[in-house]
Amino acid sequence: MIFNTPIFFWFFCIFILFYGFAFLKQTPKVYLLLVSSLIFYGAWNYSFIPLLVGSGIADYFIAQAIGNASSQRNKKRWLILSLVINLGILATFKYADFAIASVADLLSVLGYQASFTTLSWVLPVGISFYTFQSMSYTIDVYRGDMKPRKGLVEFVAALSFFPQLVAGPILRAKHILPQMHAISMPKWLEAKHGFLLITVGLIKKTGADILAIPAEKAFAAQEALSTLEMWTGVLAFAGQIYGDFSGYTDMAIGLAILLGFNIPLNFRVPYFAKSPVDFWRRWHISLSSWLKDYLYISLGGNRNNNRTRNVFLTMLLGGLWHGAAWTFVAWGAFHGAIITLTHYFANLPIFSRFNNSNALAVSFVKWAMTFYLILIGWVFFRATDINSAITIIGNLHTIGSASVLGANAWTIFIFTTVWILMVHVMDYFVIKSADKLEQKNWQFWLLIIVGQALCLLIGEPSNEFIYFQF
Amino acid sequence: MSLSTSSFNEENTTKMDTSITIDDQASSKQMVDQAEDRRVFIKITLAIVLGMMVAMGLVRLLLDANGANKQGILGRVLQAQAAIPQIIAEPNDLVMFYGSSMTRAGFSPRKFDRDLKVMGKDITSFNFGFGGLNPYYQELLSRRLAEQFIEQDRKLKLALIEFNPFQATTTRWNRAKFTLDSYITMLSNDAELWQILQQDLSRGIHLFNIKYIRNHVSAEMVTSYYAREIFPPQRGQRFKDDEETVAARRSLGKELNQAFETDYPNYSGEDWYYPWRGAGTIPQERSEKTLAVFDDYYAATQTDAQMKNDRLSRIRSADIEELHFEPFLVESFIGIVKNFQRFSEKVEVVMLPKNSRYIHYTPEAKIRLAQAIKQIEKATGIKIKNHQDIKEVNADMYRDSTHLSRYRGDIAYTDFLLSEYAKVL
Repeated sequence: MIFNTPIFFWFFCIFILFYGFAFLKQTPKVYLLLVSSLIFYGAWNYSFIPLLVGSGIADYFIAQAIGNASSQRNKKRWLILSLVINLGILATFKYADFAIASVADLLSVLGYQASFTTLSWVLPVGISFYTFQSMSYTIDVYRGDMKPRKGLVEFVAALSFFPQLVAGPILRAKHILPQMHAISMPKWLEAKHGFLLITVGLIKKTGADILAIPAEKAFAAQEALSTLEMWTGVLAFAGQIYGDFSGYTDMAIGLAILLGFNIPLNFRVPYFAKSPVDFWRRWHISLSSWLKDYLYISLGGNRNNNRTRNVFLTMLLGGLWHGAAWTFVAWGAFHGAIITLTHYFANLPIFSRFNNSNALAVSFVKWAMTFYLILIGWVFFRATDINSAITIIGNLHTIGSASVLGANAWTIFIFTTVWILMVHVMDYFVIKSADKLEQKNWQFWLLIIVGQALCLLIGEPSNEFIYFQF
Repeated sequence: MSLSTSSFNEENTTKMDTSITIDDQASSKQMVDQAEDRRVFIKITLAIVLGMMVAMGLVRLLLDANGANKQGILGRVLQAQAAIPQIIAEPNDLVMFYGSSMTRAGFSPRKFDRDLKVMGKDITSFNFGFGGLNPYYQELLSRRLAEQFIEQDRKLKLALIEFNPFQATTTRWNRAKFTLDSYITMLSNDAELWQILQQDLSRGIHLFNIKYIRNHVSAEMVTSYYAREIFPPQRGQRFKDDEETVAARRSLGKELNQAFETDYPNYSGEDWYYPWRGAGTIPQERSEKTLAVFDDYYAATQTDAQMKNDRLSRIRSADIEELHFEPFLVESFIGIVKNFQRFSEKVEVVMLPKNSRYIHYTPEAKIRLAQAIKQIEKATGIKIKNHQDIKEVNADMYRDSTHLSRYRGDIAYTDFLLSEYAKVL
């Protein structure tokens, strides 16, 4: 079930009637949320419901066991069991075929012709999100950051909470469980903010689907394109993935608000970042903070002069989290490398003036350099394989083989640029001053209805959200 | 004592009163909260339902204002579908040529019927060739035909079904996807949509939504329409005519329109009952002067550059030289033939003339085509008649790289069909 489809609209209408008018008390509300979330998930593939519920039940009891364990050693054993279960699920469903294919390729390079059978299993949607979410609970309990909570149904309902189940944001147990334990209904002004976010999300998703066309053209490379068209394609993909993912997240946060839940921001105008480090503070914040708290710090963080290694490893694994392919590994490695270089240059005295300057021209240069690097990174992310990525990056930096620009090349370039800028301005407005608009009834509802009408008019609901595959 | 008792009682009463007051306050606060929550949810529900209704209303207004409705999109197909009862009620024996835009351009029912009449045979024929469809959509339409013919216990004397290899390629299918949902809702009945809903709830609701709420116009179709404006599907034309030819083309087009108005000042589409019957006038129904303008027009439009550009665009849009077939479309084609077999005395499957001056199958395409033909023949029990290279139609009789030209190609091919099938009618 996708947010921008009729089936979800009807599902949500029916759900809200029960949620708002029939199930008024806390416990029935939690049960309703759980059942509805499982229906939502089952609409995609019901056979994976046991996996979702099973991993939640396992982590719930493991967290209890960690809480009750008499020694640190026992706590560690329980934690290892949780990691094995969660990472085992991920490894089996997401990475097994990749590992098998990579081993076969390696053997082939070494001169051995080995034939392996791949599992070819369907990837359960949202698996990377809910396993990370579930795992964070046991790690937090192990670290003593939170006490294990009573209430299995509440825990599974929080884990499977349908607004954010399939594409995040990745919620922390300490954030969502207290809310699930005492569901508070939204105030009308909060609900209006929810509607605003849903509309903004829909607009972003619609734009993303349109930008998919020039992006596909550039990455499919079925015909010779000019350098401008190649850059437009990469730029369009940057706009597409941002609109698609942050649009979904906005809708998720908006829907959660309507149900009385507060989900933290997942994007903060990321393409306005002025360094790669800054970018990761603004892009997919729930993942980057998860990786920082549970991976980077576990690896040792900044201690023992291992920062470079730890940053690189964290980004490499972050890349792999996105998908079982070498292109994602390369994307992670690329970001690891540019963050490391940023740290390196930041420490050089010669650059200190540049780093500390807030002058407009310097800020622009910083932004331009960062945005350029992010775009190059997206080539690895989107390309079908590493060779294609390298070819595309080469084409971006040479005069294209096509001497003639395709029809409307400049129009498409301007459209893409303006769209990305507009979406960021819209986001900035939502973050900074949405409350002012929400106070004004007529203007607010006019904007919501026109926005929704535009998204209903155009858009491709059959296009799934890109992040569903992760 | 009494005082003390009284005092005790008073104290307790006060405590009880306080406790009742606190309970009352809590309960009253809870009730106020619940009432407030309910008010918020009433507003939320109203905002969702009314907001969506108003937004959908705006969408309908915008679509209607742009002529984006089912008549605007599939007008001729739907007119033809609506005319089925009229076709069934025809007193003469019926012939139907069912196919693609190549059929539409290549078969003249008026000539066919007229020449048969001269031979003493009263036949009414129909050109059910439609552009922009593929075998999947055609299969749906053939179900509608079969249902109504069988219900009225009527049969076609002869059904000619075009197997157009270009229509059944994966490229063609991929490019048609944006129309898929709209066309399904236009060509399917509710029972078929209900079947889809039972197999795939999400898709079923999506289709019912398009049919009943969006007036058959899917968001994908609208997106594609706007996207094609912004992102044209192909690069500018590679082969160019000289400016004189381009200018001639423009002026001759206008001249042809004026010529029609001169030939038929009181033209009314209903008198001719096409477009749904298919094809238009025949040379005998046009003036000598108009036919001369047509000769000039073809000279200006059938240039080598135009033909080469057209070939390239069809390679891109339909893979016409490599012919990578979409198995699903080949299966759909088999479905068409089987549907016609249910209500036709004789069914023939034909492949229309091919412009061999410009279209050349690769050796691999020939193998793939032979396999597809074999599959169709095996499933339907009908031997496909290959008219791709018949000598009666030459390379000058095409208006582009695939379609036969009016008053030339269509007449020649209709003559050929008469020579082939008059004897069985």
